[in-house]
Amino acid sequence: MARVLGIVNLHSHVSLKGLTNTRPVASVSFLGRYGIIDFVLSNMSNSQIENVGVLIKEKPRSLFKHLGNGNSWNFNSKSGGVSLLYNEKFANEGKYNHDINNIKENISFLKKNQEDYVVIAPAHIITTMDYRELVDAHIKTGAQITMVYQSVDSADEQFIGSDYVRVKDGCVQEIRQNKGNRKERDVSLETYVFNRETLLDLISQAETMSSFFDLRDILAYVCDERKIYAYKYKGFARNINSFAEYYKVSMEFLDMNVSTQVFKSTWPIFTNTNDTPPTKYLKNAQVKKSFIANGAIVDGYVEGSVLSRNVIVGKDAVVKNCIVLNGAYICPGATIENVIIDKDVRIQHKTSLNGSTEPLYIKEGDIV
Amino acid sequence: MQKEMVAMILAGGRGTRLESLTAKVAKPAVYFGGKYRIIDFPLSNCANSGIDIVGVLTQYESVLLGTYVGGGSKWGLDGNNSLAAILPARERGEVGASWYQGTADAIYQNISFLDQYDPEYVLILSGDHIYKMDYSDMLAAHKEQGADATIAVLDVSLEEASRFGIMNTDADRMIVEFEEKPEHPKSTLASMGIYIFNYQKLRSYLKADAMDENSKHDFGMNIIPAMLNDQSKLYAYEFQGYWKDVGTVDSLWQANMDLLNDQDLDLYNTKKDWKIYSEDSLSKPQIIGLEASLKNSLVTQGCVVNGQVEGSVLFENVYIGEGAEVIDSVLMPGVLVEEGAKLNRCIVDEGMVIKSNERINLDSDKVELVSR
Repeated sequence: MARVLGIVNLHSHVSLKGLTNTRPVASVSFLGRYGIIDFVLSNMSNSQIENVGVLIKEKPRSLFKHLGNGNSWNFNSKSGGVSLLYNEKFANEGKYNHDINNIKENISFLKKNQEDYVVIAPAHIITTMDYRELVDAHIKTGAQITMVYQSVDSADEQFIGSDYVRVKDGCVQEIRQNKGNRKERDVSLETYVFNRETLLDLISQAETMSSFFDLRDILAYVCDERKIYAYKYKGFARNINSFAEYYKVSMEFLDMNVSTQVFKSTWPIFTNTNDTPPTKYLKNAQVKKSFIANGAIVDGYVEGSVLSRNVIVGKDAVVKNCIVLNGAYICPGATIENVIIDKDVRIQHKTSLNGSTEPLYIKEGDIV
Repeated sequence: MQKEMVAMILAGGRGTRLESLTAKVAKPAVYFGGKYRIIDFPLSNCANSGIDIVGVLTQYESVLLGTYVGGGSKWGLDGNNSLAAILPARERGEVGASWYQGTADAIYQNISFLDQYDPEYVLILSGDHIYKMDYSDMLAAHKEQGADATIAVLDVSLEEASRFGIMNTDADRMIVEFEEKPEHPKSTLASMGIYIFNYQKLRSYLKADAMDENSKHDFGMNIIPAMLNDQSKLYAYEFQGYWKDVGTVDSLWQANMDLLNDQDLDLYNTKKDWKIYSEDSLSKPQIIGLEASLKNSLVTQGCVVNGQVEGSVLFENVYIGEGAEVIDSVLMPGVLVEEGAKLNRCIVDEGMVIKSNERINLDSDKVELVSR
């Protein structure tokens, strides 16, 4: 098998409103028991990539804690494993804080590891991609750079602000930003394969162009002088690039037809675990169409919602179309609808909270 | 590397009265409480009590128990100076192949393991009890009394006392007499099978016991009486809280039901000090369907519930079809209950399929074990 180095690129411009005030998108809680980064890490692990670097852009505390030495994702803790690549020098320098500068600061990761190929993928685009198939295609075409895209017919609603590509004869002709003005687009999944030497070369080239050039910029710049092969991915992909999309995609997963595309016994989604006891449903519990994590205690009405670990829903409380993160408490009799409740919030008054088409957000640790 | 106290968990028993549940696994590996195996409780207690060397003595069907315990990382016993070691009955250089002849013999055969750590105290535990206990408190009491051995006891009712080993003590809780399952108990302090010994003292009693051809090599029957006979200082340490020996199908069912009805065993760690650790599987989150009804139950990750579940405990990857009714039952991992099936007061063994036309144990007040 080809020897492949994995890089998870957290240098996106994505923010999820209050959810990303204190943490990066990568460690935002998803579907009750995952961090968003778990999907890309599981894909790498399942694709037998044994050595993974994570390019951390900002707010690293929750990520350091979540990732540990990487053995939760089945990475060997002695050979390979997860390397946390943090760009201290530019962390608070706005425009300088991009992926190319991060790789440059941590260049030994690319130089000391001798793998032939590098797969780079973001955390916020959820897929179940088998990178082995991608790398095989990369080798077969003799490419130095391969870029992954997906054909979508709703580019006016999703992947806004992401890149799309124009593909001709299997190669990328042009990379542009999706402004949502057309439905049909071949959108970039921000996932690439490079020959390791080519990547090192591109990084040096970017430096000579502009100090503000990131990976997307340099690829857009070189696509008419270098051959970038286009790889069409037809599997599951969702782009969690906004607060609204985070809510929408979470709710979509409550449909078994969607969740069964992702959760398959042949493709486990790993996460670090917390030894929480099973969910406890008390005498007055009524629960429908929901994802509920272990450690939750439910005595109220829950419908169309995602409850994370150690959430408590009191008697006669109503929780509809909500996402409730770890350790939040909903007191007896409270009613919440279309609300995203961050960690350790206490709804301790018998109040009624309603979001509209865009859900209401309650900040971490708030008391309502 | 010297350790103040090393724990030894006796985990070799078959638990015949658990019937087919222990056909392939030792009793300490039997499932409990929606995601645990029984041995999670003593192992978590050790980890939480700051004990970092734990020997697990196995004999009957030890393979699954051995792979489950691994090195102890599930309980955090995986630091550089920390470990859970599986100690099976085995072939030994000086005596050849030998089974553990009794609880005391099991420890005797592992003296070399204990000697490595040169402990001052040894904690002897049973691998098949469900309870939360801080052994460091018991050790503090042991030291304070200057005891040679301390035995944890539970104050049981007078009717129950005849089923246990009973400690008769003086006013200071010093043990003056030990009676195994007495017909007319003089006290209600029942031994929980939890002992702290001064190691060097225990070591010499174990050696002497091993030479005695008439001994059953058992702590309760031989070691404790021998020590009492020699006027050793043995103290009772009274434990308060939930403790259950799940020796039968009925008591296993009851202990699971206790989790639904009884606040004594707090798995939810509301005081933030005493988690019970276990294997966290890779199952997906549990999914509750549109037509589901769920009351007074424990349901763990990986379950899909589309039917009615009441008063029940569901282990991982249990599937409940639409219109199915599961009442007052314990469903082990991977059980599939088809649409419309109904069951009441059952323990359903791992991986069983309940067909849609099945009606099991309805209107009965006895517990039924459903297995192959």
